[in-house]
Amino acid sequence: MANCCWYSSVLELRGVSFRYPCADTFALHGIDLQLQEGQCLGLLGSNGAGKTTLLALLSDTLAVQQGEIRWDGPRSLGLVPQQLAFYAELTVAENLALFADLYRLHGAQRRQRLELCIASSALEDKLQRRAARLSGGEQRRLNFAIGLLQPARLYLFDEATVGVDAGSRQLLLDAVARLTDEGHGVIYTSHYLDEVERVAGRILLLHEGRVRLDVDKQQLLDGGHGLLLEWPEQVPEGFQALLGQLQLNADALPTGLRIDNLDSQQLLAITQFIAAQPTPPSLLRFGRPSLEQLYLSLNGGRL
Amino acid sequence: MSPMLALIRKECLLLLRDPHALAVLFIMPILFLVLMAAALSNYLRDEPPPLDLVLEAPQQSEASLFFRQALQEQLPGSRVLANSDEALPHIILTEDFNEKLLDTPHIGPALSYPARIDKQTRQRLRAAVNIALAQTRLLAYLEDGDALPQDMDAEQRLQLIRQRTQSQISELQVLASGELSGKANASQLSVPAWLIFGMFFVALPMAGGFQREQQSGALLRFRALGLSPSILVLSKLLPYVAINLVQFALLLTIGIHVLPLLGLSGLSLPGAPAAYLLLALSLSLAACSLGLFLASLARSGEQALLLGGGINIILAAIGGIMVPKSVMPEAMSQLAEISPMSWALDAFLTLLVGQGSLADIAPDCARLLLFALVLGGGGLYLFRKRVQQTQWTTHY
Repeated sequence: MANCCWYSSVLELRGVSFRYPCADTFALHGIDLQLQEGQCLGLLGSNGAGKTTLLALLSDTLAVQQGEIRWDGPRSLGLVPQQLAFYAELTVAENLALFADLYRLHGAQRRQRLELCIASSALEDKLQRRAARLSGGEQRRLNFAIGLLQPARLYLFDEATVGVDAGSRQLLLDAVARLTDEGHGVIYTSHYLDEVERVAGRILLLHEGRVRLDVDKQQLLDGGHGLLLEWPEQVPEGFQALLGQLQLNADALPTGLRIDNLDSQQLLAITQFIAAQPTPPSLLRFGRPSLEQLYLSLNGGRL
Repeated sequence: MSPMLALIRKECLLLLRDPHALAVLFIMPILFLVLMAAALSNYLRDEPPPLDLVLEAPQQSEASLFFRQALQEQLPGSRVLANSDEALPHIILTEDFNEKLLDTPHIGPALSYPARIDKQTRQRLRAAVNIALAQTRLLAYLEDGDALPQDMDAEQRLQLIRQRTQSQISELQVLASGELSGKANASQLSVPAWLIFGMFFVALPMAGGFQREQQSGALLRFRALGLSPSILVLSKLLPYVAINLVQFALLLTIGIHVLPLLGLSGLSLPGAPAAYLLLALSLSLAACSLGLFLASLARSGEQALLLGGGINIILAAIGGIMVPKSVMPEAMSQLAEISPMSWALDAFLTLLVGQGSLADIAPDCARLLLFALVLGGGGLYLFRKRVQQTQWTTHY
């Protein structure tokens, strides 16, 4: 678990478990987690790993069965769910005004937050348009803006950028980064791992309802430079023998191999071997692994 | 704006932007009201319509002429023709009509009707012929006994016979209770019937809106915000109660001012305004509670549509909305008593036809309020459950 001892925590989970009625196994089992102010937690896991259950428990739409969720201060949550949680027949401005009223925003604070959310979601030109007539990406941005509008200590983002174009996605990710800069806690889950890599400072990987990995992102990514290799078909004959001679180990990835901690002589020997083959590799990359590569490696290839 | 007011405003905006809901709540009952009032206007009119008929008299005599006059008087506005090529009812006098008037037993005129002539018109013609014949025979008796002055003309004789055959009949009714639909005219029956039907249709937009809210995830946000189900329920009920009151006022106004412009009998509202207000509120609470119950019961928009529409039509069919209870067989009219639409219609007829007071409609309003309490309570329970079941869902 990452510790940022100079920040106070937003919330803490202790031994949280949850099992759905009639299910044989726990959807979440013994989750311990502490989230600090200004920290963005990238929540990863394959389908059924327990991400949605964890978000539902945090948003109080499911009741904790075992363990406890302790908020430091009053529960204060802004959320951007996967569903487009607004009214299609209301205009963008009417939707924002409705939720501003429900969030009990008044006066200057209301004006400021509305301006901030509209700018963060690039919806200035769409305010009088009915939500039903927005494009898919614009609807996502409105969903995002409504979540952001609520003053909260913790924000949950669940697949917040699906269907959003590259330019708008940049804006939304900037807004998430700004939240952490301002000291808010953020839990961000997405199947776009490049997004998680960009916004999250800490990675929590769930697997079958348990925490498989909870680590500082930089620590994870800086684990060592390595060589990634993929061939269109099978690994060439003699390659495993070469690795044995060079006293190197290779981790099998779903589509290739990853070789860590190799020096320049070892790298030279491998590249000479590759050059002598009739079929070149489909991927040859030396450097830091991406979060997606690490995730696939850790999660057995499951997204 | 407080959360409650914001939610009410949202509900009103959504309703105003839903053309289907507006059509179901306003255009449908108005169309039904006008069409059914027109369709029933002949059947349920206060004055029977004038008729065209043929009186065949093979022998022109004083008696046959008197019979014609007497018959004409029984059918005001009607045309009694000597012959016609059209298919009209015929009254055929015997050739010896004049000579046989004093016979006992007496053989009267023959009546023949085209197939299109309804039962009610046949009864009316039969009654008119019987009275005209009785008056003609009385005249013959009086003449036979020399009881009439010789110098009386035909008109004077008719006047005299009318005086001798008419009585002052006192007609007393206990109007504020009992089955009144048989006594109502087309407007008194159609306006409240289709008004009640339209008011109960709030179930459809209520249920549809709730389903959309749940499916969109807006309900998830409300749950995460900690908004209580009671606030959510009230924010839905209050706008629809207001819509019901607008329906009530609008359809009664159409009954009073528009139907007469279309040549139909207009509606008048006897009795105290407080009685109408009590009825409007009781009816609205019953309709909105049923709407809430169905909205919370349905699992999808399609289910809500089928449940809401189906149940309303069944309640209307058995409740005397589509067919007046007065023409239903006994078993059906007993079945009508389970429909809240029937209770509301009874209360309306007590006010409109029976000149009833607030006290007279209080039992029907109490039944409507009890219905609202039971269905509203059940609806609130189901609504709470549905809100609690609203989960964070995964699509990707």
